Order: sequence, then C-alpha cells, then structure tokens
Amino acid sequence: MNKIESPEESRKLLNKIVFDLTRSIVKKDELTRFWFFILIMFSAVGLWGWGVQIDKGLGVTGMRDYVSWGMYIANFVFFVAVSLIGFLISSTLHLLNISWSKPISRVAEQVAIAGVALAGIIIVNDMGHPDRLLNVFIHGRFASPIVWDVSVVMTYLTISVLLFYLPLIPDLALLRDRMGNEVPKWKMKIYSILALGWNGNAKQYKTIYHAMRVLMILIIPVGLSIHTVTSWLFAATLRAGWDSTIMGPYFVAGAFVAGSAAVVMLMYAYRLRYGLKEYFEDIHFDQMGKLLVFVSLLYLYFNVNEFLVPGYKMKAAEGVHLLNIFVGRYALMFWSVQILGLILPIILMLFRFFRKPLPLTIISVVMLIGAWFKRYIIVIPTLEHPFLPIQNVPAEFHHYSPTGIEIMITLFSFTAALLIITILAKLFPVITIWEYAEEKGIDKKYFSEQPKS
Amino acid sequence: MIKKINLLIVVVLFFSVQHGISQEWLVPADKQNVKNPLEYNLENVKKGKEIFMRECKSCHGEPGKNNALALTPAPPDIASSKMQKNSEGEMFYKISTGKGIMPSFKATLSENERWLLVNYFMNFNPKKSPVLVVAPPIKATLSGRVDAGKKLVTVFAEFKNKKGEQEKLTETPVNICIERAFGNLPVGQVITNNNGAADFKIPNNLIGDEEGFVTFVVSLGEGFDAKKVVLGKAKVGTPKETPKLIRKGVIWSTNDNIPMWMLLSYLGAIGGAWITIGYVVFQIMRIKGMSKG
Repeated sequence: MNKIESPEESRKLLNKIVFDLTRSIVKKDELTRFWFFILIMFSAVGLWGWGVQIDKGLGVTGMRDYVSWGMYIANFVFFVAVSLIGFLISSTLHLLNISWSKPISRVAEQVAIAGVALAGIIIVNDMGHPDRLLNVFIHGRFASPIVWDVSVVMTYLTISVLLFYLPLIPDLALLRDRMGNEVPKWKMKIYSILALGWNGNAKQYKTIYHAMRVLMILIIPVGLSIHTVTSWLFAATLRAGWDSTIMGPYFVAGAFVAGSAAVVMLMYAYRLRYGLKEYFEDIHFDQMGKLLVFVSLLYLYFNVNEFLVPGYKMKAAEGVHLLNIFVGRYALMFWSVQILGLILPIILMLFRFFRKPLPLTIISVVMLIGAWFKRYIIVIPTLEHPFLPIQNVPAEFHHYSPTGIEIMITLFSFTAALLIITILAKLFPVITIWEYAEEKGIDKKYFSEQPKS
Repeated sequence: MIKKINLLIVVVLFFSVQHGISQEWLVPADKQNVKNPLEYNLENVKKGKEIFMRECKSCHGEPGKNNALALTPAPPDIASSKMQKNSEGEMFYKISTGKGIMPSFKATLSENERWLLVNYFMNFNPKKSPVLVVAPPIKATLSGRVDAGKKLVTVFAEFKNKKGEQEKLTETPVNICIERAFGNLPVGQVITNNNGAADFKIPNNLIGDEEGFVTFVVSLGEGFDAKKVVLGKAKVGTPKETPKLIRKGVIWSTNDNIPMWMLLSYLGAIGGAWITIGYVVFQIMRIKGMSKG
C-alpha cells in the first residue's frame, strides 16, 4: 500500500472512485426497469403459485407419502450452501489479511443475505400450513436438528446483515455528504439515517474496526454450524445415502463451491453492467478461479469418500441406493453433475486462460447449475426407497417428479434472491468505497471532506 | 415370448376367477348319499350349535339373520334354501374338504363333530321339524349401582311377565363389562338371586383411566331383549400408567428428559452468539454518540 502524499492527487482519485462506485446507484435506464419488471413478474407468478398451494394443500406438489422432501428441500440446501460464501470471503480471507478479497467482500455479503433469507422462506414454502412454523418455537425440541437449524439460520441472517451494514456506515456518510441531486430524496434520507451521524473521527473508526472484528470471528462458528446442522437434518437419520459421518464437512465444502461460483457470476455482472473493470480486475477473477479450484478439489475429495467407501462395501440398503445413482434412474444426472459440474471445471480452471473473467463466469454458471442438481440427488433418490415392504401403494408414490407449481415456487426463490441482490446493489455501493480508497493509499481524513464543486 | 406370458396370465386369471365365483360345488356321487350316523335329537343339535357358534358364525353369521361376512363368494346363511337343498352327505363333504375361501375342517374338527354340525343345520331344514326352538326374547330391564367403598357392583333385573306385570328376574346371568377405548371389555358374569339382584366383586387389580376411574356396562345374555346399561364412572380401579414413549438417555429425547449437557450446549451456543450480536449492536449505537465528541 503506497501512501499518496499529495492532497490534490488524493482528492482527485477519491472523487473518481466515488464516481465509479456510485454508478450502480445513479444509473437508471430502460434495462434497469426491464430487469426489475422481469424479476417482479416472475416473483409474483411464484407467489400466486404459493397461494394455490396454500389453498389446495401440498397435494399440488409431486410430494407423496414416501418422497416427502422434494424440490423445496433440495432448493433450501442449495440456498443455505450459496449463502455460506459470505463467511469464507468477508470473514476468513479478511482475517487472514488477504487483500485481493477486500473488494469482493460486499458482493459475498449480498449473496449471503439473499441466500439465507430465501433459505428461510423456502422452508415455509415447504409447509402445507405456514402458520405452523410457530409450533417450532412453541413445541420445538431442544434436541432436534430442525430447531437447531431454525436457530442457526436466524443467527446467521442477523450476523450477515450486520456484517453487511458495519463496513457500510462510513460509505453511507460518504454518500450522504457527496450525493446531491443525482439520487432521489428518499434514498438520501435512508443514507442519512443509516449513517448514524458518522463524521469519521478516530474513535468511530476504532469502534467500527472492533465491532467488525468481533463479527468476523463470530461468523466462523455460526457459518460452519449453519451448513453442518443442515447436513445433520439428513445425517441424523438411518436412511441409506444420508447415514454418513462426513455429511457435515461434505456439505460445507460443497457450499464453498456453489457460493464462489455465485460470487464470480455477480462480480462479472457488476463489472459489465456498472463499468467496474478497474475494480473487479482480471486478477480478482484469477484469484477467485484459484479459490474455486481449491474448494472444488476439497469437495471432490469428500465426494470420493462419500461414494467410494460405501460403494466398496455395498451394504444391502446402501447398495440399492448407490446402484440407483450410479447406473439407475439418476445415473445421467449424477454423472453429469460430477463430471461437468466438478471434475471438468477443476481441470479447465488449472489453465490461466479459463480464469479470465468471461471463461470463468461461464464455468461458474455450469458449476452453480451442477451444485443445484447435486442437492436434488442428495435429497430425493434416498426417499424413493422406503426400505419397508409396501403394498397397494398408488403408482405415483413410487417416484417423485416436481409439478408445475413446485417449479414455479422454486423459480420464485431465484427471482426473489436476485431481487434482494439487485435492490442492495441499487441502494448501496457494491464495493466498500472507504476500504478500497484506503487500499489505494488515500488517507482517511479526505473521506469526510465535502467535495468542492 | 412376452405375448405368450400375457396370454398365460389371462388364462390363469380367467380360471381362478371362474373358480372363485362358481355357483356349482359338485360333490362326488358316492359321497352325496352318505347317511348321518348320529341321531337327530335336541342333545345333538345343541352340541352342533356350540360348534357352529365357535367355528362357523364368524363368517356365516347367525342362522336366519343374513348377517354373513361380505366375502366373495358370500358365505350362505345356514337357514337359507341354498344351504338346505344340500343333502346331509353333501354338507358333511363340503365341511370336510372346503373350497376357495371356505376352509377344510378335516384337521380342525373330528368326524363326529362335523356330523354334529350337520345335525344343527337340519334344525333349519324345511322337511324336518325343528327340535331346538329359540323362544322369542323376553323384554327385561336392568339397573345397577357401583359402591366404590365396598368395591361392589350391584345389579337388579326385572322383566314383564305374560300378564304385563313387572317381575323380578331370578337365576339369570348378567354380563359385567367395562368401557375401554375400542369397545367393552368383559370382566365377569354374575347370576341374579331370588330378589333379581346380584353383586359383582370388583377385582383389586382392575386398571382404570389415568385417574383410576372405571365405567361399568351391564347387559343380559341371549334370550333377553334388554338395553345395555352404562353405570356412572367410579374411582374403583388403579390409575393407568402412561408410559414414556421415549426413554431417558437418548440424545434426541423430548424436552422433559433431554440430557442436561445437550440443553446447556444448545442454549450456551445460541445464547453466546446472541449476546455477542447484542454487544455489536451496542457498539453500533455508540457510534452515533461519538460523532458529537
């Protein structure tokens, strides 16, 4: 970090940074409106589907007596997984003083907030009687992984929101002081309230650094718990395919893959849309590519353990389940996910060319889709084998396939997550301005100056 | 190949269905006219009735009441013409061999017992005069009370005699039952004395509901037209224990017997996280105050 001594140079650079990083807030054109229209329309259609489901009951879904966890739960696991990236990038890498990750941490927090908020909503989607969610609090068992999951999801959401907000406070003050006629009054009002009267004195900085550090440490056990407990929802049963001791780390490793891929996609979108080529640089994509290779290799290692070890023994029920996945009904999905969604990307990303922004983004899209289907494979095939003698069971109970309503509600979760991210991007800078400026060598004292105009 | 298998299945199904619904149950000629070695008299008919009530009634129902089980083919009422057009030899043969859902009784009943059954069937034969005549039921009324202190159920029985007067019902068995979740459980039988009264000593080990309450139901047996009488609840039983379905010592237990370390771990982890969050929120609130200084 080279300190810039000249005040003029500092001010000039700061003005440029603020101008570039507030473009997402100021920019308003047809494409923005169209994007909002698409997201709101799809979300509304999904909500209508949810209304139908509440009215008619869960019979409108493909779930029946045996497969009672379907696409919703697979989707829930996916969203919890994606949200975990917040803790990896904005906490772990931050605490390790890895400087390239700093501009990415707010993107990661956006993904975390949207992911974990939607994970909570999807669980309610999965209930025939959403009002009965209260029963978890009234009659919940302290020894039930479901209660742990609800507790930890709420805790993680709160911490993620705070970890998004804390580094935002100096930025909000900056926006409050510098944005004039470009943004509507209500936005200015929000900035002013949320900035908490920040004027950038040393005590305030000290407090905010302290609070951020406390949160970054706290989010590590909570972040690890959220996905470990989610894995225990499965691993705490005796079912073939779920009854596994490595389910926790296996889920966490998979979560890093999905989350990193989501962050890369979002980085590319911001870079393209808001002209942030100089901020989300090629080196950031290169580093994210390396990170993705690392977490993917970790995930691959757990995959080998998860499938090779039981596959070696083929215990009765486990054998039926594994054959169904390896060569049966789910073989195509399983091998596509493993090869196209994991092995091939790892090999490609070892080459520098594929860690350039566009190729890496394309790979990330494929990996994220693979990650979604991987959750589907974890949840559904196990349930299709009740491992009980069944007789006179309607044919539709034997296999699960999602219905239109289910797909609609699942699409809703995606558009709603994108809507949250878009609103966050339209309200607040996508990169922490003051941290970035400081990294570029601008002294803190310039941040609270009013620009001369 | 598959076509052939399909054809085979159709053929097999056809014959098995035919077999099931076939009206004709042919008995070999030499068996048709076998004579009943037992004499048709009241004693043998009574013995046959006893066997019928034990072995046959559950499917065939009571004679003349057409209350057989709804099976296919329907088990015929033994008083029906369908049954009675059989010769005695045919009846004996059919009981012995069975067919379809009608089991063979060759192994269950001795030859003598099977002939006794035939004797009972003959009681309903239009060509023979019945020897066992069931008298029309007597209209009777029951009453009773429970003495919780002495642990006694006392019942009184009366009936209307031919003159239409109320008269004490003597020397008559009264069934004592208690109400249970899925029906009445018989616990004993008492016989009325010359005053039409009878006492039932409530056993000490009788189990009641959660608080020990028992509801008695008393009724008269066959031959009487009397309503069952439900006596009031009385605290005469030992309280029913409600078993804990989940035993202590499993990690996933209910909140009542959750292991202490589990509860403390959960509350400690969540509490710790939220106290820290509270601390951070407090720091954020402090920031506002610092701007003045």
